[in-house]
Amino acid sequence: MTTEPPAAAVPPPSFAIVKRRLSFFGLTLDECIQVFFGGNAFVAVVVLALITYFLFREGSQFFGQNRQNLTVYRQAGLEYVDFMRRQEQAHTALTRGLFELRMRAVVDLTERQKLSLADANQRLAGFDDYAGRFDDAIGPLRGMVADLTEVATAIKTKFTINEDKMEERQQLLEAGRVAESEAVKVEAVDFERELAPILGTKEAYLEINRALKAEFATLLQRMPPAPTPALQVEVERFKVKVQAYLDTFPSIEANLAAWDYRRPVPLWKAFSAYLFGRQWLTASFWQDWYGVVPLFVGSLMVSAVALFLAIPLGVGAAVYVNQIASAREQRFIKPCIEFISAFPSVVLGFFGIAVLGEALRSMSQVTWLQWLPGFPIAERLNALTAGCLLGLIAIPTIFTLAEDALQNVPRSFKEASYALGATRLQTITRIVVPAGLSGIISAVLLGLGRVIGETMVVLLCAGNRIAIPDFTEGLGAFVQPVHTMTGIVAQEMGEVVRGGIHYRALFVVGIFLFFLSLGINFLAQKIVRRYRISVG
Amino acid sequence: MDSPTKSLRSVSHHPASPDGKSTAAVAPTLIDIENLDFHYGATQALHGISLKVPDRQVTAFIGPSGCGKSTLLRCLNRMNDLIDGTRIGAGSIKIRGVDIYQRDVDVIELRKRVGMVFQKSNPFPKSIYENITYGLRLQGVKDKGRLDEVVEKSLRGAALWDEVKDRLHASGLGLSGGQQQRLCIARTIAVEPEIILMDEPCSALDPIATAKVEELIHELKLKYTIVIVTHNMQQAARCSDKTAFFYLGKLVEFAATRTIFMNPENPQTEAYVSGRFG
Repeated sequence: MTTEPPAAAVPPPSFAIVKRRLSFFGLTLDECIQVFFGGNAFVAVVVLALITYFLFREGSQFFGQNRQNLTVYRQAGLEYVDFMRRQEQAHTALTRGLFELRMRAVVDLTERQKLSLADANQRLAGFDDYAGRFDDAIGPLRGMVADLTEVATAIKTKFTINEDKMEERQQLLEAGRVAESEAVKVEAVDFERELAPILGTKEAYLEINRALKAEFATLLQRMPPAPTPALQVEVERFKVKVQAYLDTFPSIEANLAAWDYRRPVPLWKAFSAYLFGRQWLTASFWQDWYGVVPLFVGSLMVSAVALFLAIPLGVGAAVYVNQIASAREQRFIKPCIEFISAFPSVVLGFFGIAVLGEALRSMSQVTWLQWLPGFPIAERLNALTAGCLLGLIAIPTIFTLAEDALQNVPRSFKEASYALGATRLQTITRIVVPAGLSGIISAVLLGLGRVIGETMVVLLCAGNRIAIPDFTEGLGAFVQPVHTMTGIVAQEMGEVVRGGIHYRALFVVGIFLFFLSLGINFLAQKIVRRYRISVG
Repeated sequence: MDSPTKSLRSVSHHPASPDGKSTAAVAPTLIDIENLDFHYGATQALHGISLKVPDRQVTAFIGPSGCGKSTLLRCLNRMNDLIDGTRIGAGSIKIRGVDIYQRDVDVIELRKRVGMVFQKSNPFPKSIYENITYGLRLQGVKDKGRLDEVVEKSLRGAALWDEVKDRLHASGLGLSGGQQQRLCIARTIAVEPEIILMDEPCSALDPIATAKVEELIHELKLKYTIVIVTHNMQQAARCSDKTAFFYLGKLVEFAATRTIFMNPENPQTEAYVSGRFG
């Protein structure tokens, strides 16, 4: 034990609160920390600004180029030829309808009436004659379209070569090599003269069309009765279609007569051709089209399937974990669901190709499941396969956020409900879920954002066919292959010419996605904010 | 146990009234708690509580924080069932002779009979009308006329009708704190319980709102048996007929409110009510 010093000897405690401050480059430690964190935030803002700027700079030029693209389409006469081609293609579709009718008739005759195949074919001889005549009728028009296609392609090629030469000359001039630039010979394309062979066929076309009208009118009258009574309905339907086809003739003629290669393409056409274009066709020998609709529809369908699966599963699991599960179950289930998001999406993608796609297809061949729309599935990779996997990806997002939303519902609401004699189910459905509803909705929206932006899974599993699925099959459209906005960018960006129209078109897809995600997130936040106020 | 008098009940907000203890009339027991032990997991929160709550009177539970008064209150309608790991160690609670912790008791039915008002007013994020009809709708009542009638009756019963009758379909969250608490009381009486448990109903309210709720308690006790937990000793003195003082999970003293405040038997009670600790 030490002896305590006498109280009088204790010096007064020093009040040394003044300290020399550390300083680096004239900044105190506090200021350094401030600069460090401020700098981090600043970099994030600058990077965001740069990305946005780059996206818009590259994308915005697309519309000018697309307008040019459409102008050439008109000037080189491709548009003119396409009017006729559409007439021809509509006929081809009708012919296909006839052949399908025949196939059904064969099935009917051999399976129901137990005829041999030879007998059935004999029974159908009259029908075949008719179908053959129907098919041949378009012959002259088909020939004309083929000829004109060549002419128009030639004009377009000439124009493209010219453009390239002009660009070359421009580059030489800029490099100061005047003599060499003079040597590059550019022949301006005289569209008037080049188009003469096409426009010269106007009379011939009208002649052909008159013959076609007469032929179809007779064909319509001479339509043989259906080979089997059951198909009579189809035959009647076919007749209606042919009549409708005939009715389009005058408008086609009017289009051709009014067509003028000098008419300028308005700028809004460049926008509307993009936003409402139903074709995304690149590197084509005829004409490139950049229409976002098939991609947008593909993305929407895949997301719809994903949400259809992920909403019940994610929200249901959230309700269970938050309201019903015991603490031990919670400790098990929560990490499990959150673990799903640990899978790299490419792994899920090849799981989709190797397992899910195959499983869905073999399931679709089971006899007693044939009542389901779209079964049996023709393509292994389709919107449904991709959507199922995306649903899996969206589940952790929806689950976690919905669980948070339910967690935020004040405990007192629940207690009040129980105290009034509510059962657990009543408390969940009438109090907890409604009170957390806006949080749940925003969880779903953020799940949607996650799904729309997902690339790898759709690239691997959606089938990548750039076409609007055939919605006449109803829900069966969902088992057709689709392509998506994210998928197309990932797939094509590596192969395009920098600065070309295709390159820029992909950028516009990127901008489209950007706005879509932005909108979804904005909406989700808005809903959450309203929710916070309401609980207060 | 001595019983409060009729006259005490009518004038109990004047604790100084001199004739409080003299005229005794026995009120029948409604809730009979016997030797109750209660555990939160490994911790024992209540030790051998025995208490008889009289019918149609106000019984107050007082005591310092953590003394178990709220726990006991929540045992009375089995709200503690919602908390994991809670259990009754020994003893029983009987309401009208029925043990409410018996195996085949329907807890839902129990809670319809024993309503509860919470410390923090907690109206649902719904309209005033829906808040009040919630309990009835749970029971499947759909008749609009009956619901309208109950809404008016309950709001009048909670002395809120005149303030909200023009905005029944506005959100319950738009009311002031005191109005919200009275809305919660109205919601509770809408299901016509026999007993109303109040867990510090005025602790979040200003003095004026508190006065209104206390006034309401006086009216309610004509029809309902009320058990109220409070931190506010003046409130216990003003509102209640009987008072139980708890300390560290044990019932220290239970007697007529007048006795507890004027002439407590136990020195701990005396120290607490006179403000020397707690």
